[in-house]
Amino acid sequence: MSSDGYLLEVKNLRKWFEVRRGFFSKPLWLKAVDGVSFALRPGEAVSLVGESGSGKTTLGKTVLLLHEPTDGQIIFKGEDVTHLKDKKKMMWYRRETALVQQDPFGAMPSFMTIYRILEEPLIVHKVGDKKEREEMIYRALEEVRLTPVEDFAPKYPHMLSGGQLQRVAIARALILGPSLVVADEPVSMLDASVRVEILNLMREMQQRRNITFIYITHDLSTTRYFSEWIYIMYAGHIVERGPTQRVIRNPLHPYTKALLAAIPDPDPENRKRFREVPPGEPPGLINPPPGCRFAPRCSRVMERCRKEEPPEIEVEHNHFVKCWLYV
Amino acid sequence: MSEVGMEYSLKGILRELLSYKSGIASIVILALLIGLSVYTVVTIPPQKAIAMWRGENNMWIENPRNAAPEWMAFFVHKNLPKTFKVASWEKSFGIVKAEAPLPGTSIKKIHIEMSFNYPYDDFPSEVNIFFRAKFNASKNTPLVKIYWIKPDGTRIPVTEMTMRDPNQILYVSVDQQIYNNLVMWLQKEKGITPYKTVTTQQILFGKITPAMAQGKVDVEKGAYKLVVDATTYNKGDDVDLKLVVYGTVYGIAGTDHLRRPLIIALLWGTPVAIAFGLTASLAISIIQLFIATISGWYAGIIDSIIQRITEIYMIIPFLPFLIMMAAFYKLDIWTILAVVIVLSIFGAGIKSTRALVMQIKEYPYVEAAKAYGASDARIITFYIIPKILPPLVPGLIGSVPGFVFLEAALSLLGLGDPYLPTWGKIINDAYNNGALYKGYYYWILEPSFMLIVTALAFAMLGFALDKIVNPRLREM
Repeated sequence: MSSDGYLLEVKNLRKWFEVRRGFFSKPLWLKAVDGVSFALRPGEAVSLVGESGSGKTTLGKTVLLLHEPTDGQIIFKGEDVTHLKDKKKMMWYRRETALVQQDPFGAMPSFMTIYRILEEPLIVHKVGDKKEREEMIYRALEEVRLTPVEDFAPKYPHMLSGGQLQRVAIARALILGPSLVVADEPVSMLDASVRVEILNLMREMQQRRNITFIYITHDLSTTRYFSEWIYIMYAGHIVERGPTQRVIRNPLHPYTKALLAAIPDPDPENRKRFREVPPGEPPGLINPPPGCRFAPRCSRVMERCRKEEPPEIEVEHNHFVKCWLYV
Repeated sequence: MSEVGMEYSLKGILRELLSYKSGIASIVILALLIGLSVYTVVTIPPQKAIAMWRGENNMWIENPRNAAPEWMAFFVHKNLPKTFKVASWEKSFGIVKAEAPLPGTSIKKIHIEMSFNYPYDDFPSEVNIFFRAKFNASKNTPLVKIYWIKPDGTRIPVTEMTMRDPNQILYVSVDQQIYNNLVMWLQKEKGITPYKTVTTQQILFGKITPAMAQGKVDVEKGAYKLVVDATTYNKGDDVDLKLVVYGTVYGIAGTDHLRRPLIIALLWGTPVAIAFGLTASLAISIIQLFIATISGWYAGIIDSIIQRITEIYMIIPFLPFLIMMAAFYKLDIWTILAVVIVLSIFGAGIKSTRALVMQIKEYPYVEAAKAYGASDARIITFYIIPKILPPLVPGLIGSVPGFVFLEAALSLLGLGDPYLPTWGKIINDAYNNGALYKGYYYWILEPSFMLIVTALAFAMLGFALDKIVNPRLREM
């Protein structure tokens, strides 16, 4: 663990994808994540919120080293893991981190039983013998409340519902006892009725095991269930970050404000209220606009916004915003 | 998720297979073929089969040449002659052997009478007499006189000869001397000059009528007798003989131009064809699968190299290349198999499988496996190949007939295995001996039937499997 007690420190992380238009043309870069910094303590949960294409999934997968970082630094438990070459270190990092995906059907090999799916990570990391693994698998299934476990273990993924499969996915992610979990829109493909259940389950496991959780979502309304922290992403940047309650009650960035305003609310009074939706589309990431990337859509845009990239400013304690309005 | 709901277990597939008519048919035929193969390999070991096919020690000399299978009689509604043998050393009804030494000398008279019944509707294809005598060839050798006695009692002197060799063979039906003797006898005793198409067998087994002069002879059924009067000159000399009357039908598959029973090659062709076809298609499919998976998975430079090699391979003309190799080196069947595999491993199948791999490697479950640290090798073998294997199986089975026919085609061109009897070799022999021109249809039809049945079984199995792993092809 690093001296300041952080489990994960991400410093100025960039992930650019190479785009080739033709054999001889100069390669272009799609800047999916472009200079992101944050740090998380053990047991903290953060919601990474942003619209499609904002780079939140790329950020999550780059942190897990499923993408090779282009630039920047990832420090995990005091170790620089940015470019892990050592196989042993890599296996350690794989064991310490886990991923929960969006599509529970696609996330399971259809030709393996639930038992085998859960056994795979244990086999890969050579955990226990056959008997011990069986115990661990049954315990993991119990923890995600797929009981009776003997009934679920021999089933194939297609015999389970989406919610049940997502529980299996959670069990698989947690079976190796990771300290960092990235959940990439884990409930967006599920029925509304089981979403809260799954989120509560994840929250419960996270708190019980003191896991650092990065919860990626485009749905601000679910973040309340989940996290202490909220990070708002826009076009490869984190534009605002802070404690969940504070960001939601007191959004600073114009984009955050727009996002919050767009949350549908069952209160009938709201029908009459005017919703301010930012016009236009998010910018292309191959050639993003200079300066603030939200500038073309911002209602409070200034001359400066179009030229210079805004710095990250701590407006109140732990509440950062990347906007010229607060300089 | 089109894959969801698909579960492949051997038992499940078998159960599903049995719900299709083509599945049942193919399984029944394949079971028969495999049973036949096992039976063949167990009862006729390869070395024995090769020896039999070479006809070592003149082992087929008592078989008719180019005899049709016995069941041909059923189609022509005739009692076609089968081969039968009568030996003077056998103690049985109708065989009489008497010896009378001439007192005061070492000369001995031997009288042999062999009776047999001829009930068939057609003439025999050949008549031979095999002697088994005892004498010293450097001294006076036995003198043998042979008479043929027809059912009506007519006695025809066949030949008179001094023996040269104790195991002498008298090729009665092709011996010019005997033919001349018979014709002379006919002219002298019956005043008939047979037309030149009348054969020795026809004179021996036919009704002697003036129609012979026009070349028309009918079979005379009844009890015949072969009488041999021999004179030996030295003590201890003896004469014995065996008459073989060759039929025009033989066994269940007939014989070829070298008197070999075709059943040997038909039986042996089964394991050879199945082994060749299955091994070729299995080996090629599995090697291609691995190459394609590696190509698709690693992408980059490895992919480029594999793809370029594949493209070069796709240009090489497979069959001409194979024919060239086989013609130059006279390869045996297993070497041909190896050449076929080597020539096919970088086939076009790689392209489609690679495309499939590139699609599957982006699936979330593969990403999940990476996230918990599964190695590339593990992901390829346990995550990607199980996913692409089931759709490849029907094609694999379906490509078996192609290789079975390939082996037959090479044999037909005379480029097959030089020793092992195979179906293709029968067809090759038949072709070289003008089987169709001479009317020996069975010679071509039998191996062709085996080839077609085998091909059909594998093709039907392939189609049925295709319906199972590709539910869209299912009939509603």
